[in-house]
Amino acid sequence: MNGPLIVQSDKTLLLEVDHERAGDCRRAIAPFAELERAPEHIHTYRVTPLGLWNARAAGHDAEQVVDALVEYSRYPVPHALLVDIAETMDRYGRLTLSKHPAHGLVLTTTDRPVLEEVLKSKRIAPLVGARIDADTVAVHPSERGQIKQTLLKLGWPAEDLAGYVDGEAHPIDLAEDGWALRPYQKQAVENFWHGGSGVVVLPCGAGKTLVGAGAMAQARSTTLILVTNTVSARQWKHELVKRTSLTEDEIGEYSGTRKEIRPVTIATYQVLTTRRKGVYPHLELFDSRDWGLIVYDEVHLLPAPVFKFTADLQARRRLGLTATLVREDGRESDVFSLIGPKRFDAPWKEIEAQGYIAPADCVEVRVNLTDAERLAYATAEAEEKYRFCATTDTKRKVTEAIVRRFAGQQILVIGQYIDQLDELGEHLGAPVIKGETSNAQREKLFESFRQGEISVLVVSKVANFSIDLPEATVAIQVSGTFGSRQEEAQRLGRVLRPKADGHQAHFYSVVARDTLDQDFAAHRQRFLAEQGYAYRIMDADEVLGEGV
Amino acid sequence: MSTEEKSAAPRSLAEALRVRDDVSLAALLRSRPDLITPVPTDLTQLATRAGTRASVVRALERLDRFALQTAEALAVAPDPATYAELLRLMGGDDEDPAVRAALPRAVALLREQALVWGADDRLRLVRTARELLAPSPQHPSPTGLGPTVREATAGMSPGRIQEILAAAGLPSTHDSVSAVTALGGLFEDRRRMAELLAGLSEESREVLARLVWGPPYGQVTHDPAAHLRALLDRGLLLPTAPGTVVLPREVALHLRAGRAHRAPEPVPPAVEAAATHRPQVVDATAAGQALAALGTVAELLKEWDEGGPAVLRAGGLSVRDLKRTAVVLDLPEPVAAFWLELAYAAGLIASDGEADERYAPTPAYDEWRELPPAERWAGLVRTWLTATRTPGVVGGRDAKDRTLSALGPNLDRSAAPEVRHRVLALLAGLPEGASPTEESVLARLRWERPLRGPERERREEDLRSRLARWTLSEAELLGVTGRGALSAPGRALIGAPEPSHPAPAPEGPGDKLPVHHRTPAPPAPPAPGERAAAEAAAARLLAPLLPEPLDHVLLQADLTAVAPGLLERELADVLGVLADVESKGGATVYRFTPGSVRRALDAGQAAADLHAFLARHSRTPVPQPLTYLIDDVARRHGRLRVGAASAYVRCDDDATLDEILADRRGAGLGLRRLAPTVLAAQADPAALLEGLRAMGFAPAAESAAGDVVIARADAHRTPPRAAPEPVPDGPPAPDDTLLAAAIRAVRAGDLASTAPRKPGAGGGAPGGELPRTGAAETLATMQAAVLTGEALWIGYVNAEGAASQRVIAPIRVEGGFVTAYDHTADEVRTYPLHRVTGVAELADDVT
Repeated sequence: MNGPLIVQSDKTLLLEVDHERAGDCRRAIAPFAELERAPEHIHTYRVTPLGLWNARAAGHDAEQVVDALVEYSRYPVPHALLVDIAETMDRYGRLTLSKHPAHGLVLTTTDRPVLEEVLKSKRIAPLVGARIDADTVAVHPSERGQIKQTLLKLGWPAEDLAGYVDGEAHPIDLAEDGWALRPYQKQAVENFWHGGSGVVVLPCGAGKTLVGAGAMAQARSTTLILVTNTVSARQWKHELVKRTSLTEDEIGEYSGTRKEIRPVTIATYQVLTTRRKGVYPHLELFDSRDWGLIVYDEVHLLPAPVFKFTADLQARRRLGLTATLVREDGRESDVFSLIGPKRFDAPWKEIEAQGYIAPADCVEVRVNLTDAERLAYATAEAEEKYRFCATTDTKRKVTEAIVRRFAGQQILVIGQYIDQLDELGEHLGAPVIKGETSNAQREKLFESFRQGEISVLVVSKVANFSIDLPEATVAIQVSGTFGSRQEEAQRLGRVLRPKADGHQAHFYSVVARDTLDQDFAAHRQRFLAEQGYAYRIMDADEVLGEGV
Repeated sequence: MSTEEKSAAPRSLAEALRVRDDVSLAALLRSRPDLITPVPTDLTQLATRAGTRASVVRALERLDRFALQTAEALAVAPDPATYAELLRLMGGDDEDPAVRAALPRAVALLREQALVWGADDRLRLVRTARELLAPSPQHPSPTGLGPTVREATAGMSPGRIQEILAAAGLPSTHDSVSAVTALGGLFEDRRRMAELLAGLSEESREVLARLVWGPPYGQVTHDPAAHLRALLDRGLLLPTAPGTVVLPREVALHLRAGRAHRAPEPVPPAVEAAATHRPQVVDATAAGQALAALGTVAELLKEWDEGGPAVLRAGGLSVRDLKRTAVVLDLPEPVAAFWLELAYAAGLIASDGEADERYAPTPAYDEWRELPPAERWAGLVRTWLTATRTPGVVGGRDAKDRTLSALGPNLDRSAAPEVRHRVLALLAGLPEGASPTEESVLARLRWERPLRGPERERREEDLRSRLARWTLSEAELLGVTGRGALSAPGRALIGAPEPSHPAPAPEGPGDKLPVHHRTPAPPAPPAPGERAAAEAAAARLLAPLLPEPLDHVLLQADLTAVAPGLLERELADVLGVLADVESKGGATVYRFTPGSVRRALDAGQAAADLHAFLARHSRTPVPQPLTYLIDDVARRHGRLRVGAASAYVRCDDDATLDEILADRRGAGLGLRRLAPTVLAAQADPAALLEGLRAMGFAPAAESAAGDVVIARADAHRTPPRAAPEPVPDGPPAPDDTLLAAAIRAVRAGDLASTAPRKPGAGGGAPGGELPRTGAAETLATMQAAVLTGEALWIGYVNAEGAASQRVIAPIRVEGGFVTAYDHTADEVRTYPLHRVTGVAELADDVT
């Protein structure tokens, strides 16, 4: 009894990562437990009914799960918990949705009382048709998603074996010139295709787009890709053009600004969920073509109305891509029932070990406000407070020190307040890109940054959204960042790719101590630490001292 | 009872008892402790008491199913019956070998319990037991047998009896008595009876088949159909009331091939193993659970440390408080109720008895938590084994439809300790590591203590099964079992032998001879002395299974600390203040927040202390964000100071204050300098004035305005409280010393009373003085008279105070009343015993 795993009474699993058997253990528990936090020593996984059903969908049985827990657990696992796990897993697969040659879509059971129980439910009754025999009941084809959702809520998740329509064929091939799908990406595509529909979970920066591209090449049919925002849409397009046989003309963007429908169409969640006079005017997009594959990027951010549309698309293959299955709104069950169970989950550590991703070095630099600033901050109006602390004078000195320290590397300085940025640009002798900068000017500056002609670039949040934001090895954030923590972490991941020359990427966040600024930072800090980013705090004095 | 007796054979239960040796008397008294409370004066009184209805009912209720079935069979057998007759009734004509093997044990048990007496050729069931078990229309027997031919024909006209005789093909007789005897003889003769039945129609036989296993009563119309008439004519059915017929016992027994019971159960159903785990796994799981149990109780008490929820006016905890406690403990309510009740029964929590009553830990808790973990566990488990309080019924409703609240009244179920012990003993009977199926355990318990007769409400039955079910789940919660199988400490706890030497099966062949001693009955829980030894043994076994407390944690950059196991208490206490617990189980996850760090600083730790503490106990480098968090909080902590003082000293002259501070006599005043001209004192103003004056100063009191008194939260304790006593059903099982003493006393008294005695003294002829005897003697004499059917001469004082003398033949002595045939009044009357001034036996020739 000296395993790396500790089973907690709230069904979280603590995995000691430095333990010699941690790797085996991680592989054993990954199928049924979701990684919740991954700080440096002990990772926290959570066992949920959905996780257990995911494992069932992937072909694992309760015995394997129990064995894994008992095998790796350091302390005896409470009997009640094991029983509970076995019972929960046993609920999956008692009901199956399948295609009947004569009756179309049918719900069958291997356990008659379960069928009787669910048919008694008021919510199931309108979704089913005639009883075909004791174990089978017809289901209205249009209610395939609805019934799966409802059954899951009743605690009897149905296995969907009813198959898919092929959709309109469209030739798509991967253009693997000088690059190839990484092994885990290949595996993910394979697992997804084999399972029909489902979700692929990969850490940030592990190349989820390529998994999407791989799936498209496998499906060879028209594809609808749903992404979070326009930036992301353009990145997808960029990647697809680069990595596949698709040309610019074959890929349409369906967003607030453009409404193109092409064989491969990339739409944003935002445009789909726009409501006018109580209707969703862009809904017909789903029916505008005979899509053979629908890709959902960042499934954990999928807005609620999209679930509703998705319920009607159960006959089409659906691929969900995400870094985490944990949703802040708790609608994991809808992901499970409507998009599909988890089909692939790459161990972070393994991918990291293979050198495909590397967490950036995140540093938070704490600066003190001067006494005058403190007084101003203390007496400022509530809405002005953040501006006061975010633009303290000390930040400029610290930024200069950091820039000096990484002289010669490509450095981006990101901020929110134009005055502050202008001032910084002036002191650093670096060009500033902000909202008013013309596109041509931006292109030119970005290009010379890429070429290394300029090594420091100051950008506002506006530029931050730009698709062709060049990569850098150092980013310094001086102000800004409200909004979702996850969004920020992903942007970080994008900016701070590990470099070919092995340079570690650095991300500096300059924060004013004892202010609102620090409260925001604390949130971010926790999230980053949980994501496994090495995280440090420095005092402004240290930075300034080093810099000199 | 009028048959002649051989001089050697005992003529009464008392005589039968008299020839028993001390060991067998001790066995009787141990299994029926109600017989020696109070100690009877002699064996006659003992026998009398053993024959009272209440005592017999109690004894019957404690029989196992086969012994009860045997008693039931004796109740429908002739009185006295021979062993062979009894064996036929139990085993049928073909004498089932299993029954043949088990019957000696059952008979020996019944003898030991003084329910049956007499040698094998004259087995007699105690009369009260016979009355209780014999079938009557009001109380059908579990055997499903009806009355005998003799009983059923009691009110029948002689003419009708002769008709039946003729229809059955028997010659007519001179009187009804011989006719009934002849008919009974026919019914008992297997061969002739078969011939008689063969002559019946199929329909008639079907009617008999319907009645054969009971109930034996059927309805007939005024003009019965031909197939019924055929039965009635032959006396195979006899009328009992207009429209009702009964199948006579002899006929039923013939149809049943002699068996009194449809399914005699000579062998207890085996407890089946559902699964077998490695003993190491069982012990480890149980130890883990034991640890969790200690943790839960400690957490509960910590939660209530500064005063728990209020006590309801009717006693107990409100449903809302129970819910809240369950949420705090993160447990389902019934489980939370279990822990609450356990802590309460262990005397760790109690009501504080103040005006607004609240629950709070008792001083015993402070002692308990100083014990090593294994002993803490043993303490809890001891409580659990012996407590009659039953958390399982919490939330249910009592007879008056009031909700039963946790810690409230009416939770005592006297059967609980015995059932718990028995269930564990059954588990101990399985091979090591085997966990039983619940159903088989329940079936076994039902066999060992069956329900007697259908008139007992079903609830009673449910209670034992429910108790057993609760026992199984509670044993798992406490870590007495692991994965459903008894752990090594659990085994030691109930004093079960090592599994390698399995206990002799209680269903063993038993005594072949009608001797009275046998191995002690299995359900008896161990005596307190043995129990203490067993607990110590269990604690010793558990101790090495419990993980060593750790002295380190793992600190992480996301501001969590993970204690990968049980922490040393000191460390856990400090960490519990410094960080919030996020998840519990084998490990504990703590999270540091500004609030929690501030709490630690409030508790008097300095930032440097905290850093040192973390560095000392962290196996990994202290993450930088945590260092920053502590520093950040500490930097802002305590810039504003708030304190409490009872009084202050103000003086414009600094030197005077210096002088006061320097004076040793002022030590008790708790003086502290807040500012050059102000001292704060912990003593109240009066004491401060007094103190300063004693030091030779002349202080003046100042008005109390601005004086801030903040009461510090303090640990809240009840006054010393005794833990609630278990409420056993009936008197406790006597120990050997008491038994020996009791037997000696009874024997001595017996000798005195059986010594030849002249009639006379108080017991003269009627017309003399009112007889005067003590209450005990009166009662004993009455009860003896009930058994012997003798008439007594009593002195009686009626409600108006008028004394009279009466001659009565007592029929029943029960509940303080004697029901008797009063020869003086020539009717059956009931007299309160306390109005009987005395009693004397009559000379034989009076009646």
